Amino acid sequence: MTHWTHTLAQFSSVIRNGADFAPGEIICPNYSVARGVEVYRNNYRGNLHDTLAGAYPVMRLLVGEDFFRVLAKCFIEQHPSRSGNLHRYGGEMAAFLTHFERTRHLPYLPDMARLEWAYHHAYFADDLPPFDLSRLASVAPDSYGDLLWKLHPGCTLLTSDYPLSQLWLAHQAGVPDAFDINMNEGGEHVLVHRNEEGVELIHIAPASCHWLLRLQRGLPMGVATEATISDYPDFDLATALRHYLAQGVLVGFDIAGEEG
Amino acid sequence: MCQLPCMAGIGLRASHYQQVLEQRPALGWVEVHSENFFGGGAPLRTLRQVAEQYPVSLHGVGMGLASPDPLDAGHLRELRRLCDAVNPASVSEHLCWNTVGGIAINDLLPFPYTRDALTHVADRIRQVQDALGRRILIENLSYYVAFRSSEMREEEFLTELVARTGCGILFDVNNLFVNAVNLGVDADAFIHGIPAEAVGEYHLAGPSLMDGCLVDTHSAPVFDEAWDLYEKALRHIGKRPTLIEWDVDIPALEVLQGEACKAQQRMDAVGFTNANYSVRGELVEP
Repeated sequence: MTHWTHTLAQFSSVIRNGADFAPGEIICPNYSVARGVEVYRNNYRGNLHDTLAGAYPVMRLLVGEDFFRVLAKCFIEQHPSRSGNLHRYGGEMAAFLTHFERTRHLPYLPDMARLEWAYHHAYFADDLPPFDLSRLASVAPDSYGDLLWKLHPGCTLLTSDYPLSQLWLAHQAGVPDAFDINMNEGGEHVLVHRNEEGVELIHIAPASCHWLLRLQRGLPMGVATEATISDYPDFDLATALRHYLAQGVLVGFDIAGEEG
Repeated sequence: MCQLPCMAGIGLRASHYQQVLEQRPALGWVEVHSENFFGGGAPLRTLRQVAEQYPVSLHGVGMGLASPDPLDAGHLRELRRLCDAVNPASVSEHLCWNTVGGIAINDLLPFPYTRDALTHVADRIRQVQDALGRRILIENLSYYVAFRSSEMREEEFLTELVARTGCGILFDVNNLFVNAVNLGVDADAFIHGIPAEAVGEYHLAGPSLMDGCLVDTHSAPVFDEAWDLYEKALRHIGKRPTLIEWDVDIPALEVLQGEACKAQQRMDAVGFTNANYSVRGELVEP
């Protein structure tokens, strides 16, 4: 490591871990070195805090602004940023909360973090050209079972033990303050997805979630559908396929054995 | 070939998107932070609409040209894609670093101006220019600590970068003002030290005095001292597209337009058009 890159490694440690520069390394004629360094430490914490606050607005409302600051500080200490693009920061929040003692009394909080990250992810996901239905027409019907569907890269499927999307909706701007949600009334399956209108949270049937998850894992449609029907005999493939094509959730396919 | 019109423009932030698209106010051009439009969806759709109405400058805050780590290929690819999508009149980055050992500090960080660093940064500017197929402007930094190990001044470093890579300079007048106050940087030496013909854009903003340090917060009207420096630059370097930046406590659009108007008046009164300034967005010669 040449001297100047060594200085930057030290600078990083000064900003993040409260280390000190080597004596004489820094020149600050008009204020102390500590004052100069403080600007960078404040920026570092402030930028990451604001990024988390932007990605997790409902969580911030649920725990309150002051406690969110504490929580964010702990998160930042454990999870440094890895990208020059701040929109990528904060994805480990749900995993962090699973081990965070101080919010253990809010067992639905990790799921809410998952939901908000899914929303954030969908919001910034790439645009894709619309799916060309004529491609499907060119597939022989007896090959349908081999279709390997691609889900929109912004899609996330979530399963929670709590009525998550209700709780999320109740905390959106313009929704009356008073709401009555029984957190023990049962869970739900949510599809977070961006369409032409923006990001949507769609409460979906367990069978649809079961099927889409298997497609997302890369199973051929025939295998995925058999598995879903064995758990949910009422699942209707044609309806689901039409629906999720129209919604822009299914955006393309390969054919098993022909990919690559 | 495309370039920004030699007029005053404003930094366009989310709080003004709707008003700008609906009312189409008279603005010479607008600048946005590139990273805010990486990916797709509503942000990119909005920027495409803006780009239909105004010349757009893409101003990067996350490339980390001076980072010791390898350039983030994904970041560069996203920038390239954004350029293809909105055909910007200008693309710029900062003379700073943000990542070492895989850990990013999402800020604009200074480094010692050494000959080794110069080789490194020049190489990375070439990589970016090659990937984008165009010249970029490099912005001088506001910084709060200076390194004893620096072997040259920032203007010398920038001048060398221009000579080695063909890049242009985005001269942030407020950054120079802040550095002059905080660290005793010689502002006149800077203005006279950078190659005038390489300057493609000026930035202006208002800082905040906090505990004896002038912090470049982009949160206030331009200070009188910075206007004075701007006039000096106009006299010595010439008229260039000039941006009003405001990022914190963002005021009404009319306030930004008022600041842009002040810049325009100074350009009209003081600046000469140095017709052969050479920073244009054309393809870099191989």
